[in-house]
Amino acid sequence: MGTPEISRRTFVKLSAAFAAGAGLSLGLGTDLLNLMKIGAAEAKELSQQLAGVLKKYTACAMCPAECALEMWIKDDRVFKIYGNASCPFNDGTACAKGAAGQQLIYSPDRLKHPMIRVGERGEGKFKRVSWEEAIDFVAQKLTKIKSEFGAESIIMDAGDVTDRDQYYRLFFAYGSPNCTEHGSICDTPRRHGPKLMLGGKRIEPDIMRPVLVRQKNGSLQYDKQYRTKLIIFHGWNPFVATRITYEGRGTVAAKVENGCKIIVVDPAHTNTAAKADMWLPIRPSTSPDFFAAMLRYILENDDPTRFDRRYIDWGFKKFSLGWEEFEASFKSWWNKSDPINNLPYFSLEWAENRTGLPKEQIAEVAHLFGITKPAALVWGMQSPGHNYNGYVASILGTALNIITGNFDVPGGAIDTEITKASKGGNATGKHFKNKKVKRTIDGKEIEGEVERLHMDAYGDWPAGWDEVVGDFPRRFLEGVTINYGPFKGHKYSIKAFFIRTGNPIITGSATYRWKEALTAKEKNGEYKVPLVVNIDSLYLETGMYADVILPEASYAERMSLSDIYPPHALLFLRDAVIKPLHECKNPTDIMNMLAKRLADLGDKDLKASDFWEKYKSEEDFVDEMLAGSPGMFNIGEPLPYPNFPEGYKITGTPESLEAGKVNINHEKKEVKGELLTVKWLRAHKGVAVWPMSWNRYRRFDKEKLEYVPNKTWPPTGSKMIEFSFKRYEQYNKLIEASGIIPIGLKQLGWERYPQSFYWFETKWNPYTNPEYAKYAKDFPFQIICGRVHHAMSGTQLVPWLAETPAEGTFMPMNNAFEYEIGDADGKGQIQPKRNKFKANSWCVGTMAMNASDATKMGVKTGDQVMVENPLGKKTTTKVFVTEGIRPGTVKMGFGTGGRFTPGMGGTYAQRNYTPNHNELVDPDNLSPIMGMPTYADMIVKITKV
Amino acid sequence: MARYGMVIDVRKCLGCMSCAVSCKMENSIAFGVFRAWVNVAERGDYPQVRRHFLPRLCNHCQNPPCTWVCPVKATFYNKADGRVVINRDRCIGCGYCIEACPYASRFASPTVHTADKCDFCGHLLAIGEKPACVRNCLGQCRIFGDLDDPNSEPSILLAENPVQVIRPELGTLPKVYYIGADILTQAQGRWE
Repeated sequence: MGTPEISRRTFVKLSAAFAAGAGLSLGLGTDLLNLMKIGAAEAKELSQQLAGVLKKYTACAMCPAECALEMWIKDDRVFKIYGNASCPFNDGTACAKGAAGQQLIYSPDRLKHPMIRVGERGEGKFKRVSWEEAIDFVAQKLTKIKSEFGAESIIMDAGDVTDRDQYYRLFFAYGSPNCTEHGSICDTPRRHGPKLMLGGKRIEPDIMRPVLVRQKNGSLQYDKQYRTKLIIFHGWNPFVATRITYEGRGTVAAKVENGCKIIVVDPAHTNTAAKADMWLPIRPSTSPDFFAAMLRYILENDDPTRFDRRYIDWGFKKFSLGWEEFEASFKSWWNKSDPINNLPYFSLEWAENRTGLPKEQIAEVAHLFGITKPAALVWGMQSPGHNYNGYVASILGTALNIITGNFDVPGGAIDTEITKASKGGNATGKHFKNKKVKRTIDGKEIEGEVERLHMDAYGDWPAGWDEVVGDFPRRFLEGVTINYGPFKGHKYSIKAFFIRTGNPIITGSATYRWKEALTAKEKNGEYKVPLVVNIDSLYLETGMYADVILPEASYAERMSLSDIYPPHALLFLRDAVIKPLHECKNPTDIMNMLAKRLADLGDKDLKASDFWEKYKSEEDFVDEMLAGSPGMFNIGEPLPYPNFPEGYKITGTPESLEAGKVNINHEKKEVKGELLTVKWLRAHKGVAVWPMSWNRYRRFDKEKLEYVPNKTWPPTGSKMIEFSFKRYEQYNKLIEASGIIPIGLKQLGWERYPQSFYWFETKWNPYTNPEYAKYAKDFPFQIICGRVHHAMSGTQLVPWLAETPAEGTFMPMNNAFEYEIGDADGKGQIQPKRNKFKANSWCVGTMAMNASDATKMGVKTGDQVMVENPLGKKTTTKVFVTEGIRPGTVKMGFGTGGRFTPGMGGTYAQRNYTPNHNELVDPDNLSPIMGMPTYADMIVKITKV
Repeated sequence: MARYGMVIDVRKCLGCMSCAVSCKMENSIAFGVFRAWVNVAERGDYPQVRRHFLPRLCNHCQNPPCTWVCPVKATFYNKADGRVVINRDRCIGCGYCIEACPYASRFASPTVHTADKCDFCGHLLAIGEKPACVRNCLGQCRIFGDLDDPNSEPSILLAENPVQVIRPELGTLPKVYYIGADILTQAQGRWE
């Protein structure tokens, strides 16, 4: 067949078919005139492909960035996945993982129906049961546990953070305060400084473009201009690790379009380093050292009279509290000598000795950061987020951004946690935690709120405000003791562990410790944690240790909201674009089913009016989540809504606010427009965007004719920037009242949380901690781990992603194998197919090692080695030899290897020769303030196998 | 009439492989073969090392050697739009074109059993959409459009920047241009 040109008429016909099926406007109208000429074969194919296609707008959930997506649906199947161009967060783009969604949704390895365990935990032997049977099984156990041990004996771990609210609501109402998600095994030390000082969580460069900004003429326009001049990414790899999507796009665009300089400080030459102007291969676990030297250099060399030494913008003092004490406390170290090197703390020489970087380079970075504005200093998950003393680095990093005048300025450093839209509202059911309950302690009846029974906040981790998942195994074995508050002295055991979409066996500190805790038995032969329930779309390792498995709808089959990382209020809908596959159910249905069954069994805490009558559909639930959105303040410059009073809290659809259809409550300082709903979002391509502003901590005082703190934001106790750690006071009060020192503080030899700058050494670093120096000879390598975006715990079953190598830690270095995968059939569908995979065709977890180290050891790329830590724990891996890592450092991916669940698809076939980094983590070395596992602090010896 | 081409601003490539997977998603490409991919190369010694990315696809050459060897004239340069395309109904799967392409851009499709390669997502162009790899590109480094239109995005980039093509000495006249790819245009294959 030749290629006869298709007539205009045929075009109109096939496009009309496309549009007619759409249900939503496809915006094709005038495009028809622009159609290029295609051959008849293509035209036929096209008309077949596109007939009946629906375009739907939704949000990803394959990683926490949750990008806005446009999915094309045909016959209730996901047919195409693109970025949603209406959402400025990802600006129409989609990463490899997002684009590969079909292979996750239609994976043959998904959980398909409820199951109840028949073998021992870990054996993976289950029988298929009905939903009614599974829910009844769980509800019966929960009823018994509550009456015998109290509701607090149950943990609901909603794993990957997305779409968790239904489960929180259910268990808060049931009476347990112990609901959590993966945050505490993510990066809590990294978040610490911003939380203490700004009420925030994570500082990111202001490089999300476009941003919607109020113009001088009153209109709203998208601003595409990049203003950032320097970004320092310290242990932060946005291109490959957790992907705050705009950060990759914004980094390269700021560089090309605005001449922004990029500095990457990381032991490994990451893909982010590949685009940097400077790569500083720092010694692992020395982030606080680097930041402390930067701050000392800046304080010592700042000179307001010299344009090339004007590092500090002293204006920050007006908007902050406690700088003098902080500075004095920081400087008090300067004359002390560090026992590891006999050098004065925080000096360049000291930092050179500890970080392994030339002192000139450290000085240069400090100078550049001081002199270049706007700039952003950003630190990451991997380090300091995974270091024992990462808290110190995040406090110093936050201080550095503030004192150099970069906080919340255009092109500077923004804490996205406190600028994003609010969502969740009453749907989460936090108010249930205020319910009063009675417990008998030492024969005395005590009454208090459910909240006061929290296993961490009132147990061993009063400052563990994101909960302490890394310490769950110990509590599974030893039980919980309440040390603080009214229930002091109350002890309880953990009797049920609900794990939903998380996989702590592989990710929640040492794998062996989790296995031990979940399989430990009482003398009577019963498991110590008698009920483990796994709710997930996928069959991950933790599922193998569950008693009941409930199959949850995948992210394409359930509804919720996305909002995590934008620098201003922006919300997008995750829509249920297809019906749940197999026997899967969405979180709202699972919540209602379980609540109803519990009520049927006599539980008075679960009421129809709070659950199944209140939320008849997912949409009802999400509408309630949206009710307080965006919950932003009318602050900053340019003022988002010049027609509304400055400093008021704003809720309502962008449309109604723009039209002035609002109620203004001057008493409460609130402006309320029309409530944002799922319906509104669906009519607006799933996205709601409110205006961005900067300098949100200040307002212009027209009498004084100067900027003053607006006392509205940032959301600290004082509504000012705090260099004094007032947040700790509440925990110190608890300690004061109870007299019990938390375990983390005891490790540090402290009695209270400090009020200002503090310093302590990391463990397992022989080059900075004298107590560990003795290990350096026998364990000559420091091991670090980094997330590989496409190879996270729950996505490695996707065959397309097994074709996307990254950074020497996820490489096509498999042994030959045969496996049935879900593969593209050439017709747009994913079909099960038994494939023979050649060696080196499938990406597997590997370990990156410097070429000079490899030469010394006589290993080459592809060689199998054994990696062992001083605790005698081992894992095996193939080596990838590279020049792109610091000598003496090796790097593995996080959760990339040793995957022993058959639910991992083809990756399961690689389990025996790929590394599980978490076999090497020291489970007893939790970071002392928030109990984060110290994934990046370990040393190893390596032997060729 | 149009003359479609692409400018890839390598300075903006994140090495994320979205193009490779987006293409597979769009065109239902089975495991092991690629219409779009990214070459990765490491150059230099520690610590003066640099990882380089070179996004790849069919160059849609204006002088395409693959078309010269096709015994049944199934693959040809489409003068109407400047794409090198394959008529699958004619292709007999002999593999000559796969051998003849100096850029390793063609492969034997394991699902449709003909020669296969990038066609700039012709089916998307027909409804006014851009190719999937362009649309989803995380760094927005793939810029697609009509090179005959002086106001198209790629034409403007071509006018304003020094550009490279891969192996220009072959005289194939690629229509995929690179900005900032100087040292990688000799790279072959997928991974180094």
